[in-house]
Amino acid sequence: MYNYLKRKFSYSHKSAGQRYFALKEIIRTLSTLLLICIVLLPFYVAILYAFKPVYEISANRLAFTQSPTLTNFYEVIFENKQFISGFKNTVLNTIPTVLILVVTTSMSSWVLARFNTRFYSLMYSIMTVGLLIPFQCYILPLYVNFFKLGLVSNNIGFIIARSGLQISISLVAVTGFVKTVPRELEEASSIDGCSRFATFWKIVFPLMTPINITQLVLNTVFVWNDYSTAIILLRSKESQTLTLAQITYFNENTTLLNHAFAFFILAMFPILVLYLSLQKYIVSGITAGAVKG
Amino acid sequence: MRQMSAKTNRSRSVSRLTKKIHIGNIMFLLPTFILFTFVVLAPFIQGIPYSFTNWKSIVSTNYSFNKLANYEYLLKNKYFLMSLGVTFKFTILFILSSNIMGFFLALLLRQTSRFNNFSRTVFFLPFTVSVTAAAIVWSYVFTDIYGTITGLVSPLGLESQIVYAMVIIASWRDMGYTMLIYIAAMQTIPKDFYEAASIEGANAFQQFRRITLPMIVPAFTANITITLAWGLRTFDLPMVVSTTKRAGQTTAVYVYQSIFANNNAGLGQAAAIILTIILVVLTQIVSYTLRRIEVEL
Repeated sequence: MYNYLKRKFSYSHKSAGQRYFALKEIIRTLSTLLLICIVLLPFYVAILYAFKPVYEISANRLAFTQSPTLTNFYEVIFENKQFISGFKNTVLNTIPTVLILVVTTSMSSWVLARFNTRFYSLMYSIMTVGLLIPFQCYILPLYVNFFKLGLVSNNIGFIIARSGLQISISLVAVTGFVKTVPRELEEASSIDGCSRFATFWKIVFPLMTPINITQLVLNTVFVWNDYSTAIILLRSKESQTLTLAQITYFNENTTLLNHAFAFFILAMFPILVLYLSLQKYIVSGITAGAVKG
Repeated sequence: MRQMSAKTNRSRSVSRLTKKIHIGNIMFLLPTFILFTFVVLAPFIQGIPYSFTNWKSIVSTNYSFNKLANYEYLLKNKYFLMSLGVTFKFTILFILSSNIMGFFLALLLRQTSRFNNFSRTVFFLPFTVSVTAAAIVWSYVFTDIYGTITGLVSPLGLESQIVYAMVIIASWRDMGYTMLIYIAAMQTIPKDFYEAASIEGANAFQQFRRITLPMIVPAFTANITITLAWGLRTFDLPMVVSTTKRAGQTTAVYVYQSIFANNNAGLGQAAAIILTIILVVLTQIVSYTLRRIEVEL
C-alpha cells in the first residue's frame, strides 16, 4: 500500500505532464471520498441512533456513543410485535411473488421472443403497457375487486397484486435476454421428439439462469421495499409488511427513537446483505434495461 | 388429382402442426396474461367509467354518473392544480439533479479499478433502501446534521422548501441508478477514439465534447425518460414526509387521499386519469424528441 502510494504520488522524477496527471488523480480520489461520506450520512445517523443506549439520546446528538449497545436490536427482534409480524409478512409475501414471477415471465418471454407475428407482438405490447400507466390510475378498481374477493389485508392478495404489477418490467428484461439465446439447441430437441413443455423446462429454462437470478434478486429488492401496493391492499395491522410497520411504529413511538432506528436497520439488513453479496446481478440487471419496481 | 390431394393433405398437416404450436404458445402465455389482466388491465379499463361518477366512499357501491363534472371540478380546484404544480416542480428538479449527479459520478468512476468499484457499490447502495425508511432517516439528517451545522430549520418542516428536500432525498436514492447507466454507456466507447483524438491534438474538453457526449446520448434518453416517469408518479416519498402539508403533496398523493381518506373516489379516479394522460403524453414527447436528437448527432 505504501509503495503503491509512493509510486502514484512521488513527484521527484516526473515530468510536468505526469505531475498534472497525478494531481488530477488526487483530486478525483478526494472528491469521491467526500461524496461517499455525504451519501453515507443517513446510514451514519441510523446506526448512531440504533446503537445508542436509550438514556443517552438527548446528550450530544451527533457524536457516536461511548457505550454502544445491542439492546435496541434485541428488544426489536424479540419483543416488538410489529417487527415480528411485519418481518414474517414481508418474507411470506416476497418469496412466493418472486418465484411466481420467474416461472410466469420466463415461460411467456420464451414464446414472445421466438414468435413475432402480429398476435404475439400485440400480446407483448399489451403486457408491457404497465410500464406506462401509473399505479394510481387503477388503485380504486383494484381495491374494490380485491375487496369483493376477500383478497384485501391478506398475504395471498398482496402476492397476486405485486406479481401482476411487476410483470411488465420483468417481461421486457427477460424477453430481451431470450432473444440473445441461440435457437439451435431447442430446435434439435424438438426434432428429437421432445414436447414443447419438456423442451422449455429441460433446455431453455436452464439457459435462462443468468437472467432468472437477476430477476430474482431485483424483484426481491423491489417487493421487499414495496410501499404503494402495501398501503392500498394491506389495511389491517396484522397484515402489514415491514415498510408499513416501520412507519406505524415510528409514528406511534416518536420518543423511542433508538428502537425505531434499530427497526429500520433490521428491516433493510437482509436486502443489504443480498445487495452486497449478489451485486453483480443487480448491476447487470439494471444496466441491461431500465428497471424499477 | 392425386397430386393435389397430397398437397392439401400436406398443407392440412402443416396447419395442424402450427395450430398445435399455437395452442402450446398460448398455454405458455396464459398464466402471465391472466395475472396481468386481473391486476392491471381489467382494473385500468374498469377505472375509466368510474371517473365519470359521483362515487363517494369506497365502502358503498352507491354512485351515479355525472358526466364531466369531476373533470370540470378538478380543473378549477385549487388543491388539485397545486398538486400538479408540486409534481412538475419536483419532477423537473429531480430529473436535473439525479442526472447531473449521476453523470458527474460516472465521469469520476468510469475507469474500472478496485477503489472505483467500491465507490460505485456505495453510490448505488441507497437505491436498495426502502423510500419510507430513507425519508424518515433523512428527516433526522436534516434536523441533526444540517440543522446543527447551519443553525437553520429542517427544509422538510418548511412549506417553501419541502419540495427541495424531497428532491434531495429522491436524488440521493436514484443517482446511483443513473450513474450505472451512464457508466455502462461510457464503457462501450472504444478506447481508440480517445487515442486517435489525442494524437490529433484534441484536449480533454474537446474529447469530452466530441466523443463522450455524442456517444452516450442513448444513455441520456434512457435516464431522462425513466426519471421523468418516476418523478411524475412520485408517491412514497410525499406520503411519508408531507401527508399533512399541501406544499409537498404530489398528484399521486392527491389521488390516494381523495379515494381512501376523503371519500371522493370518483373524483380521485378522474384525477388519476388526468395524471395518466399527462404522463403518457409527456414521456412519449420526451422520448421521441430525444431519439430524434440521437439520430442527428
